[in-house]
Amino acid sequence: MKFLRQFKVLTLVTAVTATFSMSAQAETLRLLTWGGYAPQDVVEQFEKETGIEVKITLSNNEDMISKLRATRGAGFDLAQPSQDRIVSAHADFNIYKPMDLSKIDTAKIIPSMLAATKKNTEFEGEVYGVPHVWGTSGLIVNREAAGTVKDYTDLCDDSLSGSVSYRLKRPTLIGFAFALGEDPFAAYGDTEKYQAILNKVEEKLVSCKSNVKAYWSGGDALLNLMRSGEVSAAMAWDAGGWKLNSENPDITFVAPASGALGWIDTFVLPRKTKAEDAAYKWINFVMQPEVAARITESAGNFTASKGSDDFVNDTLKAQFKQSFPEADLDNINWYPPVPAGLEVMEGKVLDRVKAAN
Amino acid sequence: MSDASGNFNRTQYRLGFWLLLAPIVLWLSLLIILPHIDMVLVSLRERIASRQYGFSFGNYTAFFTEPLYWNTFVRTAVMSIVATVLTLIIAFPVSFYIAKVLTGRPRIALFILCLLPFWVSELVRTYGWMILLRETGLISGALQWFGLADQPVEMLYNDVAIMVGLIYTSMLFMVVPLVTTLDSLDNSLIEAGYDLGGSSWNVMRSIVIPHAMPGIMSGCIVVFMLTLGNYLTPTLLGGKSSLWFTEQIYTQFITRFNWEQGAAFGILLLILSSLIVWLGLKITRQSFTRVMS
Amino acid sequence: MSDQACALGVDAGVQEDLACTLLSKHFGEFAAVDGVSFSIPRGAFFSILGPSGCGKTTLLRMLAGFQQPDSGDILIKGKSVLNTPPNKRPVNMVFQHLALFPTMSVAENIAYGLKRKGIPKREHATLIDEVLAKVHLPGFGDKRIDQLSGGQKQRVAIARCLVLNPAVLLLDEPLGALDLKLREQMKIELKRLQREFNTTFVYITHDQSEALVMSDQVAVMNKGRFEQVGTPQELYYQPKTAFVAGFVGDSNQYAGKVQSQSGDLVTLVTEQGVRLLSHANQPLVAGSPITLFVRPEVMQISTSRPATEQDNCLAVTVSRVLFDGAQSRVQVETAEGAELTVALPQTADFQALEAGRSVHVSWQASQCLCFPAPADTKPPGAP
Repeated sequence: MKFLRQFKVLTLVTAVTATFSMSAQAETLRLLTWGGYAPQDVVEQFEKETGIEVKITLSNNEDMISKLRATRGAGFDLAQPSQDRIVSAHADFNIYKPMDLSKIDTAKIIPSMLAATKKNTEFEGEVYGVPHVWGTSGLIVNREAAGTVKDYTDLCDDSLSGSVSYRLKRPTLIGFAFALGEDPFAAYGDTEKYQAILNKVEEKLVSCKSNVKAYWSGGDALLNLMRSGEVSAAMAWDAGGWKLNSENPDITFVAPASGALGWIDTFVLPRKTKAEDAAYKWINFVMQPEVAARITESAGNFTASKGSDDFVNDTLKAQFKQSFPEADLDNINWYPPVPAGLEVMEGKVLDRVKAAN
Repeated sequence: MSDASGNFNRTQYRLGFWLLLAPIVLWLSLLIILPHIDMVLVSLRERIASRQYGFSFGNYTAFFTEPLYWNTFVRTAVMSIVATVLTLIIAFPVSFYIAKVLTGRPRIALFILCLLPFWVSELVRTYGWMILLRETGLISGALQWFGLADQPVEMLYNDVAIMVGLIYTSMLFMVVPLVTTLDSLDNSLIEAGYDLGGSSWNVMRSIVIPHAMPGIMSGCIVVFMLTLGNYLTPTLLGGKSSLWFTEQIYTQFITRFNWEQGAAFGILLLILSSLIVWLGLKITRQSFTRVMS
Repeated sequence: MSDQACALGVDAGVQEDLACTLLSKHFGEFAAVDGVSFSIPRGAFFSILGPSGCGKTTLLRMLAGFQQPDSGDILIKGKSVLNTPPNKRPVNMVFQHLALFPTMSVAENIAYGLKRKGIPKREHATLIDEVLAKVHLPGFGDKRIDQLSGGQKQRVAIARCLVLNPAVLLLDEPLGALDLKLREQMKIELKRLQREFNTTFVYITHDQSEALVMSDQVAVMNKGRFEQVGTPQELYYQPKTAFVAGFVGDSNQYAGKVQSQSGDLVTLVTEQGVRLLSHANQPLVAGSPITLFVRPEVMQISTSRPATEQDNCLAVTVSRVLFDGAQSRVQVETAEGAELTVALPQTADFQALEAGRSVHVSWQASQCLCFPAPADTKPPGAP
């Protein structure tokens, strides 16, 4: 009996030590990212080459900030917010850690994008982000049913009653502001002027409400609405439009006349990251042109990796060319960093639009 | 000697009492009381500048001065009350049938039938309704096939769809307490009701319903609270104008990063919903302890 | 009794408040009630006595209208009520567990039926006060049901029915839940109420004492049939069947065989080989099996052989004294091993009686009865 008990204790102790030493040995990278940014085959190859295990949590901009805010920057080792949402969030909640650019193979990154991101994610003299995936949001249009839609404001055309969808989030406000002839980005620093623009947008969105079938919140839900034909024109990301285009040539992404809205999703380090080295390894790994091309295939958007376009399939390139003729490419409105406080103003407008009849 | 051992026993007993009590005290304080205290504290803060907060009642005054928030709450409360009443109206005959009419196998079968939707998650259930109700969905298709509609009918994205979803989700929480109380109603009371000359309506009104009142109220409280706190159903099934107070709280917390406002809303929801439950108990002259036992 | 019924019968054409003809109810193969016919004179206290499962509850529920008979007819005041739903029948029922409405006060319980009957509200208070006074619960109207004692609940349940002046009041073993003392009181109380209201009571019970004490007429029911209907005295002293003899009152029962019969007198030998004389009210074939019933109180116990000639006299040994005041008994055993229970008179002679003593017991043949033993089943309580 006594022997048996000793044996049990011994086994337990061994098991506990084994678990601890195991977790100490196998490095893990907890990645907070968007759907499609870390495809299975890329993760597998990375794990094989480095022995680091990757744990992926899918998220979006607001969710990333909220998650990191709740833990004061812990729980994840690498996150991927959009470049315009980094500085204000960090200023308010102190959730990120500066990037050590010397640990990043910057030669693999398109210089103009790197420069823009560096500039936009600088806080108190330190750089917090490096670019990864970029893309635009604009219009997804079923040309059969809504061929007339060329700009955001065209969604309010009477002929489209009940067959339009967009998100009740800030990109919609910005997009409509541009389409209404304003420049909201220029007004970022001027609260009063920005409020005036918002009021104008609010009025438009309220009057446009009868056209809206539903405000979408998940990308897949919107794609389903477009596929079934229940919605014929929507405000959405380019990648979704190209995905639908491969299924149904009538549907495609259209860069709005007032300019598509350009975003860059970045890499940032949460303040309490536990696997910094692994994080840098992952960044350098996915920036290799061949790997980056695979991410482009999976996410539907191009990356900041230099030369990765050569590895991307022709369909996507053709779709991109069709959506963005040279002039439209120059016309993209890139998001500047959002100053703190604007989101509260925008939130009230969005609430009022939702509540309006 | 005996005195000493008596003392020892008493200490031992007291120790046992506290040890037994410890888990529930810990559970209550760590998971319920502390978070709520923290919520109250957060709700009384106001952002002055980055990383700087001051004491303020502003988050609470915002609720009462901004008609949007107030309207959203009233709308949520009214919809929840309506959903609760409708759930009761639908669940009562079903429960009566289960508790008093059926016996043996069919009784269990019907009960399980009520339980069945809860074997899948709320999200899946809600998507199920979306598949049924959407313009290109099953019901719309069936209506067209039977020639009752000449074009696709959109039944999703409106308050009726929310109501259907809420009632469907709440059904079980009404049926279970009702079946339990109706089960405890002695059949001879119903027979006595008839025997003394009562019609079915008399018996229902004077005997069955008064007896089932604690069950009705506890079912109503649970359903009301669940409905009021529901997030998925109103968000997914609701239309472009459908506002729900929990959605507002979620928005404040997650997309506006305004924890202070969200916390204030959370506290207000707690207070106001408790107030409504209290009123309901007062009106029906039921006591909370009786209803919950 | 029937005289009284006649005197009070206003409608001379119909003498019975309740009559049943060939009433039957089957549950599948099982005949719960099997061709029962009876009629109850106006104002009688009629009991149906039987063991549990004999069909008495089914019979009562058919009278109340909660169950439909398969065949036969029920007449109340001469009219068939087969197609009358329970809430329209002029009968009311006191349920086994009384079924007072716990959510209502005493007065509300009584008013429930008055409202349903369409009696104007302003008359309710007077009627309720009157009926509560009659059941000796004046001023109890505002009490809640859970404030009442068992006996008080009993009275309220009866008052609730009687205030409606039913043609027949059905009572389903309402005294079962009471303790012994209270039950004794309520028996007398029920009888008093029945006389006072002069309503026909149909009372079902498995307790023979309840039936005997209260009833004008008792029907003994077994396996869905009435074995015998008669006054309590008739049932006790002149049982017509072995079942009634065994079920009503206590009896020593012996299985035995007929040796010879001359007129009413039968000579028999019990299984243990004791030779006895008994009264019989039917011809019996010599050698046929019979059951003998001897009541404990007819046997006389004496320390010496009785002086007068007795039909049956046995020398026995006391095996146990069962002291119970006036109901004390003594168990004795014959040399052959036959056991008897004998009433023990509380006189000085027998106070010293103890186990092991030799005594004599004796009784006359006319004081015991024998019936042909049923072929398949034994009467209840038979060894």
